[in-house]
Amino acid sequence: MPLQLRRSRIYILPTRTGLGFAGLLIVMLIAGLNYANSLALVGTFSLMSFALVAMNLCHRNLLGVRITSATTLSAFAGDDAVVELTLDNDTSLDRYSLTAAVSGRKAEVIALGSNESARLRLAVTTQRRGRLKLERVRIDTDFPFGLFRAWVWLHLPLQITVYPRARGERRTPPGAAGRDPDQGSAQIGVDEWIGLRPFRDGDSPRQVDWKAYARAHPLLVKEYRGGASETLQFDLSQTPGVALDRRLEQLALWVCDAEARGARYGLMLAARAIPQDRGAAHRHRCLEALALYGLPPVSAL
Amino acid sequence: MSAVPALHGPDALPLRALLWVLACLVGAVALHIDRLPAWISLTALAFVVSRYALQLREVSFPGSWVRAILALGLLLAVVAQFHTFGGLAAGSALLICMSAVKLLETHTRRDALVIVASSLFLMLSACLDRQSLLRTPLYVAETWLTCAALGVLSAPHAHLSARTAFLIAGRGFLFGAPVSVALFLFFPRIQGQIWALPAGQTAVTGLSDEMSPGAISQLSEVDDPAFRVRFLGHTPAPQDLYWRGPVLHSFDGYTWRRDQLVNYRQEHLDFLGLPIVYRITLEPHQRNWLFSLDTAIGAPNSSVLLTFDSQLIAIQPVTQVISYELTSHVATRSLDPLSINARRYDTQLPGNRNPRSIALGQRLITQAGSTEALIKLVLDYFRRDGFEYTLTPPKLDLDSIDDFLFNTKRGFCGHFASAFVTLMRAAGVPARVVTGYQGGEWNPIGGYYIVRQSDAHAWAEVWIDGRGWQRVDPTAVVAPERLLRAASELAANDEQAGFRMFANLGFLSRLRLGWDAANTWWHDKVLDFNMRAQLSLLEKMGFRSPSPRHLGWLLAAGLTLWLGWLAWQLGRNFRPKRGDALAQAYRRLCKELSRYAPPRAAHEGPTDYARRLSLEATQGAERFLPLLMRYAALRFGSHSTGAARRRLVQQTRWWRLRALRAAPHGRSLGCAIGIIDEGGRSTSILGLQAVTIDQIVQRRARDAE
Repeated sequence: MPLQLRRSRIYILPTRTGLGFAGLLIVMLIAGLNYANSLALVGTFSLMSFALVAMNLCHRNLLGVRITSATTLSAFAGDDAVVELTLDNDTSLDRYSLTAAVSGRKAEVIALGSNESARLRLAVTTQRRGRLKLERVRIDTDFPFGLFRAWVWLHLPLQITVYPRARGERRTPPGAAGRDPDQGSAQIGVDEWIGLRPFRDGDSPRQVDWKAYARAHPLLVKEYRGGASETLQFDLSQTPGVALDRRLEQLALWVCDAEARGARYGLMLAARAIPQDRGAAHRHRCLEALALYGLPPVSAL
Repeated sequence: MSAVPALHGPDALPLRALLWVLACLVGAVALHIDRLPAWISLTALAFVVSRYALQLREVSFPGSWVRAILALGLLLAVVAQFHTFGGLAAGSALLICMSAVKLLETHTRRDALVIVASSLFLMLSACLDRQSLLRTPLYVAETWLTCAALGVLSAPHAHLSARTAFLIAGRGFLFGAPVSVALFLFFPRIQGQIWALPAGQTAVTGLSDEMSPGAISQLSEVDDPAFRVRFLGHTPAPQDLYWRGPVLHSFDGYTWRRDQLVNYRQEHLDFLGLPIVYRITLEPHQRNWLFSLDTAIGAPNSSVLLTFDSQLIAIQPVTQVISYELTSHVATRSLDPLSINARRYDTQLPGNRNPRSIALGQRLITQAGSTEALIKLVLDYFRRDGFEYTLTPPKLDLDSIDDFLFNTKRGFCGHFASAFVTLMRAAGVPARVVTGYQGGEWNPIGGYYIVRQSDAHAWAEVWIDGRGWQRVDPTAVVAPERLLRAASELAANDEQAGFRMFANLGFLSRLRLGWDAANTWWHDKVLDFNMRAQLSLLEKMGFRSPSPRHLGWLLAAGLTLWLGWLAWQLGRNFRPKRGDALAQAYRRLCKELSRYAPPRAAHEGPTDYARRLSLEATQGAERFLPLLMRYAALRFGSHSTGAARRRLVQQTRWWRLRALRAAPHGRSLGCAIGIIDEGGRSTSILGLQAVTIDQIVQRRARDAE
């Protein structure tokens, strides 16, 4: 990164439209030659050279575009993960109709003006938990006339963490709750407002008091009694069921619920223990651990 | 009747793209407006408008049944109109109708491309039919529009402005222009047609192979050109410009006809005088015959026959403008006798018609004695006996020659030729009527003659024993001014006179002649560019014995060069701005330095980079560091002079850098490194082992001076 698309990387072939156009030109050429009709031949030859120029223009529409970043967003198995490519055009040429595809799924078509950069969001189908390695991403264009399609294969070292599907019992296991005794019996969902405190890294954006922030206050976080002080400890060995994947899915659901409630939670996976904490980063760490539990390092797409 | 809702998927055609497609089709139909019945254009227009309305109002589209019925109805209407699917006109009409119906199911880009393709097809069929200079801009415009539409369709949601679309398509054609020209010049043409175009149903203009002077009460003076003639060498005298068309032999007392099946062996001809070489560009007249100057010595090509009466007959009717080269003589002689059959054929008259004329002919031959004397007698008779040349003659009764000779005495060339030949035949002298054109208008701009429909003429040919067929023009006796008029217009045999005449012409005439010359140029140089023209072009380029293979070589070479040029040209257009000379020097320097250490990071300035290099770099980098520091000083310091900048640029030329790289170690170690401001204080001194404080002090002292 950044990666500049160079001549040696760009492939180009006629599209179906292009082949149809070629057929049309052949018919025009035969008619023009047979009837010795120079006007038809002039038209045919102009269109032929036009198509050759179109080929070069199509090639040029990709040439020199830079890929400045490629990031992935994790997803639960069955949902779509996202790959985000940032395309940058530092040339004086406007680019149109750029799109990307990964394993057959296409991104939306974008235009990239001169000295602009834009983001291409690619959805990736996920099926099971683990690390998803993207083989290659294709960036392509059929601009300007749809007669040719130029494309580039990007072999990016992209890996997506696919979390286990979050499903199972919503109720947390009795052994998981390790509540502070003097907090009383605060029930789930019935949270008591405590007050505001300054934002700390790892706080969930859901707890930020955005209205206050909009009134030019600093970032403040709303604290609730029930959830905030609730602490939970999940253990793989204590999950019901036999199948490993089902049990991991159950844990994923509990992690998600706990995070949504703002509880502090920790995870025990056989030998690995993740200490109690909360926040997006913690949630990701837990879910990632669930995703990769018992799997070889990388599974190809 | 089922209804299909307008498509709203991601593939759906946005309104703007649809408008482009509709414009393409309307443009293509417009090219056919004057060739096809009006209802076809109107139908297409109606479909275009309703498709647009459907899109605007988001009404449901008609179902497949309705479309099928519409398509079938239009198909039957086309058959009813043309009685065939073959032929350009019927084919174009059908394509227009089907594209119009297709509009009702045009929802996606793919459907739109079908319409665009059929627009291009319609343009091709218009090209095959009409190639005039006037229409060419229309073809160019339609092609441009179609290609711009392709651009819009390839990015349907990019909201390309019309200007951008036209610009991009125009650029495509502009960059392609060199190779279009090369393809046009060098793409080998084939000779002759593999299959012929079916004849069109166009109205016939010009001469016919029948002549009934008695039936015509008003001769229209149509100014349409019949053909154009360019003399390639010697130009004949104006009074010799008799352009031979159909020769008529058989007469029923009222109408002269040409019998298709009659053919005799041609008598041997001696050609007298200079051969006249010329090129005729004939407008299509839907008939089989071609015109020649009086007597041609041979047919122009194998698809044309030269008949026994020196008429040129083509195998196919002339449906397009054609050009051919001929050699003619305006005077011939034949020493052979006329065969008995031919003599009988060319002296026959219907026995029950024109009794008075036949009697007159018989009386005259006894008076005259010889054929020459008889001709003179008859011409004298025409001259003296109160005959009058007019373009509005009275109609004649069935004994047309009697009526004309003894009653009305007013007529045009057809009357006189017809009466003259009748009298000759009555006297037993073989004679025939020749129709064609006489004279022509000199175009000084193009250097050729225009022969118009109004120059149509009829004259006679008489067999004189010992001399053969000789031309006699009885009209010239009665109305010498008719030929004189032509002669005055033809007074332009030399160019000087031509230009003098041109100067005397009015503005409109000049415009008319100029336009005619442009059209002729267009036809001769562009439309009629064939294999022969290609080979002669090769000859001019220096190929000694040109063949189509040479065309292929030239084409391949040209194409390769052009593709290289194109790649360079297009790649050049958008390379990032290179910056000024100093920035380029810096870039070269950094590139050189990247051989010694990891390249300069985007956040590193020249001094930071130099510092890093001095710490990390392998042996050899230090000799470039002074240049790097000089760059920093010149770019950011206050001592930056043009001369110093130029010097740095010079020192960072790649060969200088290479020489420096190859130089033995230590040569450049003596350079002082540092940025020294006006006050002589060092503002930045690098921790470079190779530089001693002494050197910096020395440098400072030098600078202080």
